[in-house]
Amino acid sequence: MDHTSPLETIFRRVALGVILVFFLFPIFWIVLMSFQTNEQILRIPPRVFFSPTLSNYKALISGELITTVGSLKLTFMHNLWNSFFLSTSSVLVALVLGVPAAYAFARFKFRLGEDIAFTLLSIRFAPPLLILLPLSLLFNEIGLSDTYIGLIWVYQLICLPLIVWIVRGYFEDISPDIEHAYRIDGHSWAQTFFRIAVPLARPGIAAAGLLSFIFAWNNFVFALILGSADKQPVTVGALAFVTAAGISYGQIAAAIVLSILPTLALALYAQRYLVEGLSLGAVKG
Amino acid sequence: MSGLELRHVRKAFGAHEVFPDLSLEVEHGEHVAIFGPSGCGKTLLLRLIAGIYDPDAGDILMDGRSILDLAPDRRGIGMAFQNFALYPHMSAFDNIASPLSAHGNSAPTEHVREIAGLLKIDHVLSHAPRALSNGQKQRTALARALVGEPKLLLLDDPLRNVDAKLRYEMRLELPKLLRGFDATVLYVTQDYKEAMALGHRIAVMSRGTIRQFGTPEEIYYQPADVEIARLFGDPTINLLQLQPEKNEGGVHIRLSEVAVPLPGGDTLPTGRECTVGLRPEVLAFVDADVPAAIPVTVEAETPLNEKVVSLVRTSCGHELLVSRPAGTPAPASGPAHIGVDPGRLLLFDPSSGDRIALQDAVSTRGGSTT
Amino acid sequence: MNRRVLPYLLSLPALIVCIGIIVPFVIAIYYSMQRYNLALPYLRGFIWFGNYQSLFTSSEFWKTVTVSLLYTVFTVGIELFLGLGTALLLRRPTTFNNIAAILLLLPLMTAPAIASLMWKLMTNPGFGILSYLISLVGITNFKWASSPTTALFTVILVDIWVYTPFIMVLLIAGLRALPRQPFEAAELDGVPRTFVFFRITLPMLMPYIITAVLFRLIDSIQQFDIIYAMTQGGPGDSTLVFQVAAYLEFFQYTNVGRSAAILMVLWVITYVLSLVFVKNWRRLRERAHGAV
Repeated sequence: MDHTSPLETIFRRVALGVILVFFLFPIFWIVLMSFQTNEQILRIPPRVFFSPTLSNYKALISGELITTVGSLKLTFMHNLWNSFFLSTSSVLVALVLGVPAAYAFARFKFRLGEDIAFTLLSIRFAPPLLILLPLSLLFNEIGLSDTYIGLIWVYQLICLPLIVWIVRGYFEDISPDIEHAYRIDGHSWAQTFFRIAVPLARPGIAAAGLLSFIFAWNNFVFALILGSADKQPVTVGALAFVTAAGISYGQIAAAIVLSILPTLALALYAQRYLVEGLSLGAVKG
Repeated sequence: MSGLELRHVRKAFGAHEVFPDLSLEVEHGEHVAIFGPSGCGKTLLLRLIAGIYDPDAGDILMDGRSILDLAPDRRGIGMAFQNFALYPHMSAFDNIASPLSAHGNSAPTEHVREIAGLLKIDHVLSHAPRALSNGQKQRTALARALVGEPKLLLLDDPLRNVDAKLRYEMRLELPKLLRGFDATVLYVTQDYKEAMALGHRIAVMSRGTIRQFGTPEEIYYQPADVEIARLFGDPTINLLQLQPEKNEGGVHIRLSEVAVPLPGGDTLPTGRECTVGLRPEVLAFVDADVPAAIPVTVEAETPLNEKVVSLVRTSCGHELLVSRPAGTPAPASGPAHIGVDPGRLLLFDPSSGDRIALQDAVSTRGGSTT
Repeated sequence: MNRRVLPYLLSLPALIVCIGIIVPFVIAIYYSMQRYNLALPYLRGFIWFGNYQSLFTSSEFWKTVTVSLLYTVFTVGIELFLGLGTALLLRRPTTFNNIAAILLLLPLMTAPAIASLMWKLMTNPGFGILSYLISLVGITNFKWASSPTTALFTVILVDIWVYTPFIMVLLIAGLRALPRQPFEAAELDGVPRTFVFFRITLPMLMPYIITAVLFRLIDSIQQFDIIYAMTQGGPGDSTLVFQVAAYLEFFQYTNVGRSAAILMVLWVITYVLSLVFVKNWRRLRERAHGAV
C-alpha cells in the first residue's frame, strides 16, 4: 500500500539512520570509554578498536583506587546501593499509598477525592524546589535531615502522583458490574479489591510502578538538596565524582555506565509497560 | 410470609426521581417476571434489591426481615447480569465456584460440575471467559448465580445478549431449570413472550411504577391499560376509536355498519368515544350469514409460523389484523366477512388509557395493582 | 454504613502525603514575602511584595526569564519537530520500527544529570569525541559549555537528546491508534500525501501533540538537573534558568526570601500551564480513545 519513490525511501533511511546515530551514539561511546585507560582516552584521533580493560570497573566496585598520588577510597558502590534502596522503597510506599487511593477516586465520587486528586496532579507540575527548599529548612528542625525516611517521604512527590494518575484510569476501565458480582457472590469489599480490582488493573500498576522507579532512580535535585553525604544516590554521587581529584575519565565513564545500566535494562526488559505508562494510559495496549 | 417485599421504595439520582413510590410483594418460591421498556427502571430495581444501591426511602424485606442494613455479600442473593460480568482473569470453573469459595466451601468441584452439567457447559469449564461464546457466557453467569443455592435469584435480562436461536431454546429450558431450584426468582426482560413463559406472575413496569401485577392470563386478557394491551400480543392488538351506541337491544359498536353487541355494557357511557381493543385472534373469518358478520375487504395476507395474519379493511375505513391458525382456509383477498368474539373485546378510556370493565361478573377491576 | 467511610479511609494516606507537601508550599509563600537571609537572621522581617518588586526591577531576573524562555521555546520546539518526524518514520509496526523505537527510548531513561555528564565528557576540548568530530570539518576551539555564547546551545542540545524520545513515544502511540478508514479512503480517492498529512493526520493527532507539548513546556521551564550538572547556570548567567537561579540564591547567597519569590513566579507560570492541561485532560483522553 506504499508507493513511495526510491528517492523518498533513501531519504527516510538516511534520516532514520542519522536519528538513531544521534540518540544512541553517546551511550555507545561512553560504554566504550569505560573500558579504556586514560592513555587510550586521551589519544587523538580516537580509536573504536582497542584492547579493553576492566580496571575502571574494578576500581569502582572494589572501592579502592590506586593513583599516582596514592590510594583513594571510592564510595560509588554505596551510592549505587542508596539509589537502589531509595527507589525501591519509594515505589513500594507509593504503591501502598497510591493504589487504594486510586481505587477510591475511580469508584467513589466524593468531593475530598477530587480535591486530593487535583492536589496530587498539581504537585506533579509544581517546581520541585518550591517544596524542597522550605523542606530542607524544615527537615533540619524536625530531624529528618540525614535519614532515608525523610528522602523516601519526599520521593513520594515523584512517585505518588504518577501512580494515582495512571492506576486510576485502569480502575475506571474495569466494569463495575464485575465487582458487584463478586460482592453478591458473598465476598467482602477487601476481597473484591485484592482479588478482582487489583489483578485486573495489574498492567497499569506495573506500568506506573516501573515508571516511578525509573523517575525515582534518575532523580537528582531531591537528593542534592535533602540528602547528606552518605545517603546520596548515584546521580549526585557521579557528579561529585567528576570534581574529585585524581579520578580518571575512564572511571567517570564507568560510573556513568553503572548509573544508567539499571534503568536502561529495566526499560528494555519491560518496554511494553513503559510505553503504557509514558502515554499515561492515554492509549491502552 | 412473603419471600421478597418492597415497601414504598423511593430512589432518585440527582434531580431525576426514578422510583417515586414502589411497592411489590412476591411470594416465597414464586417466579416473577419484571417486564417493561428500557429506561423504566427494571435494572435499577434489581440493583436495589441486591444492595448495589440503597433506596432513599422505604424498606426492602426478605422473609419478613429488612435487608437494608446488609451489604450485598450478606443478602444470600444470586444475580446474573445482562452483560454477564464474568471475571475475565478466572476460568469458567472458578467463576462458577466463586460463591462457594466465598462461603468457605473448600471443595466445590462436585457442585460446580453438577450445575455445569445441568446447563450444558461442563465441557468448557477450564476456558477463560473470552474463549466462550455468548451463549456459554450467559450460562456460566447463570450457573454462578445458581450454584450457591440462593434464596433469591435476580436475573437481569440474561437472554438479551444471546442470539435469537439460543434465546428461543432457553425460553423453553429456563423455566424448567428454575423449577428445580427452591428460590424466589425475579426475571427482568423486555420480551413479553419471555415474561409470559417464565413468570407465575408478571409485574409490568413503566417509568418507575408498576402498572399491573398479575398472572400472564390476567395481563393478557385483562390488561390494566391500553399500553399494556399493546405490549403483549403478536401481532399487536387492533385499536379503534369508536363510539358505543345504545338501543333497545343493548349497547353495541358499529363496524362496517354492523352492530357488534357489547355484553354487560349497560353501565357504559354512550355518546362518548372509547378505544376498542380487538386482538387479531379474537377476530375470525365467518360466513356471510352468521349473525353480526362484518363485511370487509381482505387486502393482504402474511404467513407467520403457526398462524396466518390477514390485513382487512372495513367499509367504514378501519384496517384490522386478523390472525388464524395455519391451515384454516380463508379468502386471501377480496370481499369476506369477519366475526368478533364479544366476550374477548377490550374497552379502554380514550384519555387515560385505563381499561373499562365490561362484564361485572368476570372483571376483577383490572388485576391487582399495588 | 461503612460504605460512606470507605473512600476516605482509602485515600487517607495519600491525603497525609498531600498535606506533607502543602505545608512546605505554604511556607514557601510565606518566605517569599519576607526579607529572610540565613546569613543575616536579625534582619528577618515581613516585607510583603518587596521581594517581588525587587525581582521585577532587577535586570538579572529578567535575564533569567529570557534565558528560561529561550531554553523552553527551543527545546520544546525542536523536540516536537524531531519527535514528530521520528514518529512518522516509525509509524508502521514493523519489527525494525519497533526495535528502533525501543532503542530510541534509552536517552529518556538516563538520568538527565548523568546525561549532562556524558555530554560533558563528549565535548571535552581535549579528548571529547564531539570536539574531535567537528574539528574534522574545520571547527576548532568550539567552547561548548565553557563560553557564555555557546553554553545555552550546549544545554539545549542535551535536553533535546534526553527528551525528544518522550514526544516520539507519545506520538507513535497516537499514530498507531488512529483509525485506518480515513487514510484508506483518502488513498482510494487519490488525495495527495501533503493534504492527508496536514488535514487528516495532524488534526487527529492533536490530542497527543497537545499533551506532549504541554508536558514538555511545564518540565522545560523548570529544568534543573541538566543545567546544574553541566554549567551550574554559568558561565556567568548565560544558562541561568529559574530553578537554578533559585537554587543559587538559596545556597550561595543564602537569600531565602528572594529564592522563594523566584520560585513563586515560576510556579504561577507552571500552574497556569497545568490548569490548561488538567482542564482538558478528560477531553483529550476521550478524544484519544475515540480515535481508537
